[in-house]
Amino acid sequence: MLHYYDPSTETFEPGKSIPNPDQDYRTPARLSESLVSISVDGRDITVPEGTSVLRAAALAGINIPKLCATDNLEAFGSCRLCAVEIKGRRGYPASCTTPVAEGMEVTTQTGKLAKLRRNIMELYISDHPLDCLTCPANGNCELQDMAGAVGLREVRYGFDGENHLEAETDSSNPYFSFDPSKCIVCSRCVRACEEVQGTFALTIDGRGFDSKVSPGQSEAFMDSECVSCGACVQACPTSTLMEKSVIEAGQPEHSVVTTCAYCGVGCSFKAEMKGDQLVRMVPYKGGAANHGHSCVKGRFAFGYATHEDRIREPMIRESIDDPWQAVSWDRALDFAAQKLRGIQAKYGRESIGGITSSRCTNEETYLVQKLVRAAFGNNNTDTCARVCHSPTGYGLKTTLGESAGTQTFDSVMKADTIMVIGANPTDAHPVFGSLMRRRLRQGAKLVVIDPRRTDILNTPHGGEGLHLPLRPGTNVAMVNALAHVIVTEGLEDTDFISNRCDLKAYQAWRSFIAEERNSPEAMEEVTGVPAAKVREAARIYAGADNGAIYYGLGVTEHSQGSTMVMGIANLALATGNIGREGGGVNPLRGQNNVQGSCDMGSFPHELPGYQHVSDPAVRARFQSVWGVELDNEPGLRIPNMFDAAVAGTFKALYVQGEDIAQSDPNTQHVEAALKSLDCLIVQDIFLNETAKYAHVLLPGSTFLEKNGTFTNAERRINRVRKVMEPIAGMEDWQVTMALSNALGYPMNYSHPSEIMDEIAQLTPTFTGVSYDKLEEQGSIQWPCNDEHPDGTPTMHRLDFPIGKGRFAVTEYLATEERTSRRFPLLLTTGRILSQYNVGAQTRRTSNSDWHEEDLLELHPSDAELRGVKDGDWLGISSRVGHTVLRAKISTRMLPGVVYTTFHHPGSGANVITTDNSDWATNCPEYKVTAVQVEKVTQPSDWQLNFVDFDKRQQALLKSAMDKREDSHANALK
Amino acid sequence: MKDQELNNLIKMLDQIIANNLHHGDDDKVAGVAADHMRKFWARSMKQQIVDYANGPSSELSALARLTVARLQAEQE
Repeated sequence: MLHYYDPSTETFEPGKSIPNPDQDYRTPARLSESLVSISVDGRDITVPEGTSVLRAAALAGINIPKLCATDNLEAFGSCRLCAVEIKGRRGYPASCTTPVAEGMEVTTQTGKLAKLRRNIMELYISDHPLDCLTCPANGNCELQDMAGAVGLREVRYGFDGENHLEAETDSSNPYFSFDPSKCIVCSRCVRACEEVQGTFALTIDGRGFDSKVSPGQSEAFMDSECVSCGACVQACPTSTLMEKSVIEAGQPEHSVVTTCAYCGVGCSFKAEMKGDQLVRMVPYKGGAANHGHSCVKGRFAFGYATHEDRIREPMIRESIDDPWQAVSWDRALDFAAQKLRGIQAKYGRESIGGITSSRCTNEETYLVQKLVRAAFGNNNTDTCARVCHSPTGYGLKTTLGESAGTQTFDSVMKADTIMVIGANPTDAHPVFGSLMRRRLRQGAKLVVIDPRRTDILNTPHGGEGLHLPLRPGTNVAMVNALAHVIVTEGLEDTDFISNRCDLKAYQAWRSFIAEERNSPEAMEEVTGVPAAKVREAARIYAGADNGAIYYGLGVTEHSQGSTMVMGIANLALATGNIGREGGGVNPLRGQNNVQGSCDMGSFPHELPGYQHVSDPAVRARFQSVWGVELDNEPGLRIPNMFDAAVAGTFKALYVQGEDIAQSDPNTQHVEAALKSLDCLIVQDIFLNETAKYAHVLLPGSTFLEKNGTFTNAERRINRVRKVMEPIAGMEDWQVTMALSNALGYPMNYSHPSEIMDEIAQLTPTFTGVSYDKLEEQGSIQWPCNDEHPDGTPTMHRLDFPIGKGRFAVTEYLATEERTSRRFPLLLTTGRILSQYNVGAQTRRTSNSDWHEEDLLELHPSDAELRGVKDGDWLGISSRVGHTVLRAKISTRMLPGVVYTTFHHPGSGANVITTDNSDWATNCPEYKVTAVQVEKVTQPSDWQLNFVDFDKRQQALLKSAMDKREDSHANALK
Repeated sequence: MKDQELNNLIKMLDQIIANNLHHGDDDKVAGVAADHMRKFWARSMKQQIVDYANGPSSELSALARLTVARLQAEQE
């Protein structure tokens, strides 16, 4: 594909609007409306003012030698290889640090320059091992390339002098090694850690000849603050920092651009391959969500795809106490279909349902809900978004008219105040967290509303953030107090309100919010946050030219999750921070396709595109394409399915890619529900906790083994491209299709692109989306239709889908989950950087080196009161259950608040979380559980039972595998 | 004695009402809450709460009963 350079498309974001994402343009793009024309070796080129000569030359197709420059880092000017001659100027300026000037005439190749560059290379090579043939970077080494480019033929200084050739390699990081003997001290790794990642874990230690790259203060990488994002490895021009997978396998020979299947940032990666072996994942510079950056999960934690625990064959059994029986796909699907039809015949049409995961593609989730609605004949379809962001759907649809965030990620680079509520971007959305940190270093102000002191508050050179450490469960009180200040101190954007908002709803809200009972002073006792701090936060947000709110599950997973989302939308409407870059309401979605699974009609009450099932015109359109009559009543949500299963009226469930037994609250209730089912069909890549209760196990495929699309938190639809064959022969969409056919409802797609075509046909916000367009544009942010043919980066620019923005009254109601003498502490849960959700993927990688077990974090004062030391075993009891975790004493929480993660199934974190849920959507109240904590000496009863049950189920699986291997061996004989 | 499923439905109903009291008098609140149930509750859930409200052992609050009555009227 040819790439043409158009200066008008240059933007301030590194990597954006790159003519060719596979080329290094040497220094970052500059944004300017003023254009400057120069000539380089007689070639004319026009670029934005501020562009370096080195970049301008690269854009003109002239590649000046360089080592310390690369286009995602600011120019540094240390290697001097990029020296040029400029007519009328003296000497040999470094072209990386020399900005273009009108009429400049640059010469890049002269005899003097050639000699200068060779001299520089001689010095570099005199202190570099001459082991190119056995070096892992052989064939992909910039130092080697530059030696060739400058025509290096001899090293006059010899190799006997003082050098660094004996420097020891640091192999402490599980994914990459650091071999300082090969380092040329170009600082690219140090600058990448600072500028791209924002961690500042690396430095140049020493001076002159003693200069060396050092993690922290001469620590090993694993002992330093390094977060293993891979930016340094990516930046290294030699093999100093090198992926261990490349050292082991050699350089990859082809690559495929695809989308990461971890968090909702949706980073684009080049999956670099040798045949069908994935050698490494390299963040793709052309990815509009990540611009060539990555985190420890997406960059390195892909080993689970080929892990020995993968389910490789379909399996069936009559009872969960029976051994599994490995069977053919046809046999398994017929078995499943007969069970489903038999149960419907006995218990009724509504006695079965399906659940999809937000880890699945759009096409897969679309097919599952279609299967449920068309083949099962009911609307009992739900998605794991139920237990994370369903309040976002409800709250934003009510106030702004669309169930989606309003901005691009890049929008944060224009925010003047960033308010982060109940989100932990540096851990849960790390690549976006780095972008946010970049903006904070540029001077944007930060307000964090969270019971914990999250790492975004510790942004190096990011200024002083304002932290409002509120009590868990008091979000709505806080947002009302903030709004009260905005209204009563005259900080509203009255023009925006009068032009863009429903004035009747506004007046009702304004009267309510202005009441003294909503003031920060009145709410101080509820939230625990001093009123003065709340007033300061409101002023910082409302007073900014652009105020942006980012929120996460700390907002939604509450009994008033939906109310809080509406409260956030109220703040944005009241201050006019909607409809332009730099502002907006931005839900940070937990999993890769939370937005997409909701868009695709996975919720029981709405068809794809958030079209309610009760609307006859909507149903008529779907019926005409699907060829069946559709139920006009909503179906059961996940918690309702569990209740109905325990009650005996819900008897069969098809679960694709979701581990409800580990991730849903009140584990013992979920287990009781799963045990009550006559048929549980689980389609997954591993024998997860849910699968241990299953009767049919269908092998799933990883994101590397299938085609499709994911939609990230900024509504960006990105292609997922198959890089290897599915381990059991079928991609997940093919499995759903085959199950539907077995049930007698025909589905005949030959490629996921055909499923997307059907989605586009039936979903008004997707009518312009197609695989061809995705290939052409790279990605598309919906809505994409006749009105927005190229998609919609920023929503609600001129109006709202409901016409006017609608303020909502947000009365604060305390949760019923309260502390008492018996349960005096509040437990809140979350995730950490290295692990991902239930951990099924990351636990099967070296990411566990950072997090081997879930810990209970508690404040020193709570620990002292109970005589608890770091590492003690603690029993944690709530009103519904009891579990045991090891203690970690931490000042990140307030006294009275404890915290844990839920990445390991044996931890039983959800044994103690309750059935309480959001009033509007039933999203569980994971973030507030009243507990007591005390020292114990043995695991809980649930944990002991878990170990037994796990052993039994693993043995039942192993016996099936052994039998299968025996029969294969016999067949071979 | 109510089963757990019914208990949860009653809890959900009470929560919906409590979060919509700001809409005005009982009639308005019942209308909004019933509309919410119509949009988001499954057929079987609606039927259970209606059956319970109409049964002899109903312990619903007056506003909850009014809400269920509105829901029932809409369903019919």
